[in-house]
Amino acid sequence: MKQFKHFDAESIDHALAMVKAYKGKTALIAGGTDLVGVLKSEIITDYPEVVINLKTIADMDMIKNVDSECRIGATARLADIAASELIQQSFPALVAAAKSVGSPELRNMGTMGGNLCQDTRCWYYRYPDKMGGRIPCYRKGKGPCHAIKGENRYHAILGGKKCFAVCPSDLAIALGALDAMVMAVRPGEERLISVLDFFNSRGTVLKSDEILTEVRIPIPGKAAVQVFYKNRLREAVDFAVVSVAVMLDRTDGVCHGARIILGAVAPTPYRALAAEAAIEGKPLDEAHAAKAAESALEGAKPLRQNGYKIEIAKTLVKRALLHCDSL
Amino acid sequence: MNRPYRFIGKNTPRKDGVAIVTGKAQYIDDIQPVSMLHGKVLRSPYPHAEIKKIDTAAARAVPGVKAVLTHLDVPPWMTGMPRHVPVLDQRVRFVGDAVALVAADTLEQAMAALDLIDVTYEKLPAVFDMDAALAPGAPQLHNIFPGNVVSDFPAFGPNTLSKVARGNVEKGFEEADFISEGTFRYENIANPLPIEPPGVIAQWEDTQRLTVWSGTQSASWHRWIMQSKMGFPDIRAITTQCGGSFGSKNYAPQCMFYAAALAKATRRAVKVYFTKDEHFGAFVLRLGSRFSGKIGMKKDGTVTAMAGKWLVDNGAFSDMSQSQIAVGCGEAQLVINCENWDLSTKLVCTNRCPSGVIRGFGGQELESAFAPLLADVMAKAQLDPVDFFKKNYVKPGGTYIWREGNLWTCRGKDYTDAMEKGAKAFQWKDKWKGWLNPSSVEGSKLTGVGVGIHGNADVGEDDSEAYVRLNADGTATIHASVSESGMAQRSSLCKMAAEVLQLPLENVHMTPPDTLVNPFDFGLVGSRGTYAVGSAVINAAEDALKILFERAAPLLKTDSKDLETMDGRIFVKTEPKRAVGWSKAIGIMRSVTGYGEFKADYSVPNFLILFVEVEVDTGTGTVKVKKVVASTDAGKIIDPPSLHGQLYGALGSAGLDTAVFEETIIDKKSGHMLNMNMSDYKWRTFNELPEFDNVILETPFPTHRFRAIGIGEISTSPGPGAVLMAVSNALGRHMDEYPLTPDRILKVLGEKKGDRK
Repeated sequence: MKQFKHFDAESIDHALAMVKAYKGKTALIAGGTDLVGVLKSEIITDYPEVVINLKTIADMDMIKNVDSECRIGATARLADIAASELIQQSFPALVAAAKSVGSPELRNMGTMGGNLCQDTRCWYYRYPDKMGGRIPCYRKGKGPCHAIKGENRYHAILGGKKCFAVCPSDLAIALGALDAMVMAVRPGEERLISVLDFFNSRGTVLKSDEILTEVRIPIPGKAAVQVFYKNRLREAVDFAVVSVAVMLDRTDGVCHGARIILGAVAPTPYRALAAEAAIEGKPLDEAHAAKAAESALEGAKPLRQNGYKIEIAKTLVKRALLHCDSL
Repeated sequence: MNRPYRFIGKNTPRKDGVAIVTGKAQYIDDIQPVSMLHGKVLRSPYPHAEIKKIDTAAARAVPGVKAVLTHLDVPPWMTGMPRHVPVLDQRVRFVGDAVALVAADTLEQAMAALDLIDVTYEKLPAVFDMDAALAPGAPQLHNIFPGNVVSDFPAFGPNTLSKVARGNVEKGFEEADFISEGTFRYENIANPLPIEPPGVIAQWEDTQRLTVWSGTQSASWHRWIMQSKMGFPDIRAITTQCGGSFGSKNYAPQCMFYAAALAKATRRAVKVYFTKDEHFGAFVLRLGSRFSGKIGMKKDGTVTAMAGKWLVDNGAFSDMSQSQIAVGCGEAQLVINCENWDLSTKLVCTNRCPSGVIRGFGGQELESAFAPLLADVMAKAQLDPVDFFKKNYVKPGGTYIWREGNLWTCRGKDYTDAMEKGAKAFQWKDKWKGWLNPSSVEGSKLTGVGVGIHGNADVGEDDSEAYVRLNADGTATIHASVSESGMAQRSSLCKMAAEVLQLPLENVHMTPPDTLVNPFDFGLVGSRGTYAVGSAVINAAEDALKILFERAAPLLKTDSKDLETMDGRIFVKTEPKRAVGWSKAIGIMRSVTGYGEFKADYSVPNFLILFVEVEVDTGTGTVKVKKVVASTDAGKIIDPPSLHGQLYGALGSAGLDTAVFEETIIDKKSGHMLNMNMSDYKWRTFNELPEFDNVILETPFPTHRFRAIGIGEISTSPGPGAVLMAVSNALGRHMDEYPLTPDRILKVLGEKKGDRK
């Protein structure tokens, strides 16, 4: 790892001021579980001169209910989110997503904001510099996406265009189903962004002088049920091969207003609108769940090695819907 | 020898246990000779290229940089069999191959200097697969290996096995009731991944005397093997606590070359300690293995002929592949009792990270490759695999040609009992529903069982020497070049000596693993620690006792044969009150040193049978290992927790999990290794350990006074084939690819769905 300066931010304004002062030469750190790996591998050429620590900002790790929504600060740790009674009461899907990340050590370090803003796991993108040189690619601004013709078993089956790396965040998938918003702040401006709009094919929509400060999740009504499923090769320290989060209302034995979000299948969290439509007003039985699962993967275009993800995604959607029926 | 053992077979505290768990134990990264520099390696961006120009001026100008070396100015040392790997070469042969070396005061300075070395390459076409490497007109990796075929090498003497030719295979196939054939690959070139990466610190004491510290498994290798590669300097090899090896860190010739070359150039101590990336991408992988051939078998499981070609993928270069091929050829004959063999081998170079010594040493590679062939022929005959293995594993009086080319007759034991007791513990008879039948089906969950075996005649491999010094204060010191690479073998050797000397265990110690103070020992290779090294230590302890009793006899006015010792006192057997202390017998200004040795003996193979139950989720293609039972016969258990630990090790470290998810993934166009980190390289975590039971019989072996043999090395080897069999049975179709990741499972399930339509 190369040398850099490290500053503890005293407030969000202080952090923003430092970001502005060291224009383009900064990186934000909270848990650091992703950033430190990125820096050690030297995968990017614009190595930060300054690393700004957000953990020292008071109350940025809050977890609290305000009116009809829950607010979770960007530096709230994944372990605390999973253990929070507030969150357990209203957002079991978020608890499941937080618990599914990494290992206890990583959850004790990793944060809400870090989980949303972490860089992709694409192995071409992440190739370590000191092993013959980093691999330039479309995502890094130079060259093609090597996954298209290369080793692409974990890459996108939906929505890939020039970069087929998938969004690695587990929390984003749960938050997408929960219809959450994220707060982005820059000097003189605050904006709330739907979590699904927060991501684009190259990462997030955050501007270079913007900081994600908190997440706001509407507290669901009594009829709502929610689940989060994550498929991976091993049950710890592993990213999703496919994940799915579902929230829906079940009244009179039928499904209403389902939000079905798939993870690790596309460059961003993928909302399966066709599946939501297919299950609307239908009972959550085997046949309807299977039909919705088929719809969820409509339009999937697998690469050479990742067609299996379609099967896994269908299974997960179906199982998640059936699970919703049993809640 | 009717007295019950005090230490052997008992759960005594591991001697280095407290030091390990309190952080006191020293690993290579804890060692810091005075004025030590840090060495780093510049690595190739291309899988195959010629270095046309290399400019190091800017790198040399970095503050703190003390040396920058290229292929033009490194010492003329060579490794490989035959010699084909210099310290640095003008040619690079895999992405990550070494291009230049830097030594600097700090790691950061060395890393900064790497970025400033300007290299002009001429790219060459590369080959990533054995077919491509063997094709006419293929790019040649080494001038001395035409066609990319590495030449045979007399690693174990002039008749070193590179094939198995016995009997008459044509006649054998004529006698067969069933014949199966095909090509099967065990080519996931897994990485055993001990926690600690390899590292060496080198320091020249003068122009001829080199001291090296390393965290490696076999202390002596950095002396006696490396001497011949470096113009015979007088090497003092010291090993620290070794943070795991699984064979891969028996030694580290590249690290040692780099450190020693930089140390020579700077006249300072230099440490070359690989990063985890380098550990993945520039150290050693398991050999790739492909078997094309056929087997003939009678209805009763008698194998009448085994014929085929074994293609072995070496990677860019290697040090010991021919030795692994030799041992693999030997081990195949232990597993399959057959009079007619025609097995040929070919070792092939490809443009990827080199292969090296990995637990399983040839046999795991070969047997995992032909496991699907055995499964196929057994299924044709509707034979229970346990019955097949009982019939075929070598028995006393059975013969096999071992690695050096000699025909050995087994004087070990019949392992039928171990197989039957293991089967019973696993409830094999209840779970086995015949070939390609699941044990149970519940919704989307299919359960299947499989079984594999492995054995090695290396428990008495190679030679060992030891001294045991008895001290006047009633303590004993074992002098033997034995590293501690995790298995507690140093602790177990102390138990053996303490048992012979009848001293409290805390009064018996070993010298540090250091070739300057210890006699020759081949190292903790294979499973030789218990029988080979143990014999040398036992013999040395017995020799020391003999001298001790000779000194005590006049003091007690009796014959030395009438004496015994206990806790530092010597007494007359028939009259225990006639006694004298060690201090008086030895003399406080004296010591007693006994010498012991062991000479290689390949007549006592060890054995392991491994039963596996897996659950396959048909919706996601996930394979879960639910239950494992390992069964063996150790003769006599020296240290129960250590032995159990070795057997539990069957799962990871490029073992059973090479059938589940362990694999090295390399881009077939660019040659980049893509999963060189612990999240993309799938390695089982603790919370996914299956239920795992060991059945360990203790039927005395004709070895040393404790009648024991070693087992440790072989536990990884039966697993891959057993998992393949278990998943095949769960799915109802022969699976013959490694590893069985969800894509492969779902593909088969998709095809089966198609069949039904």
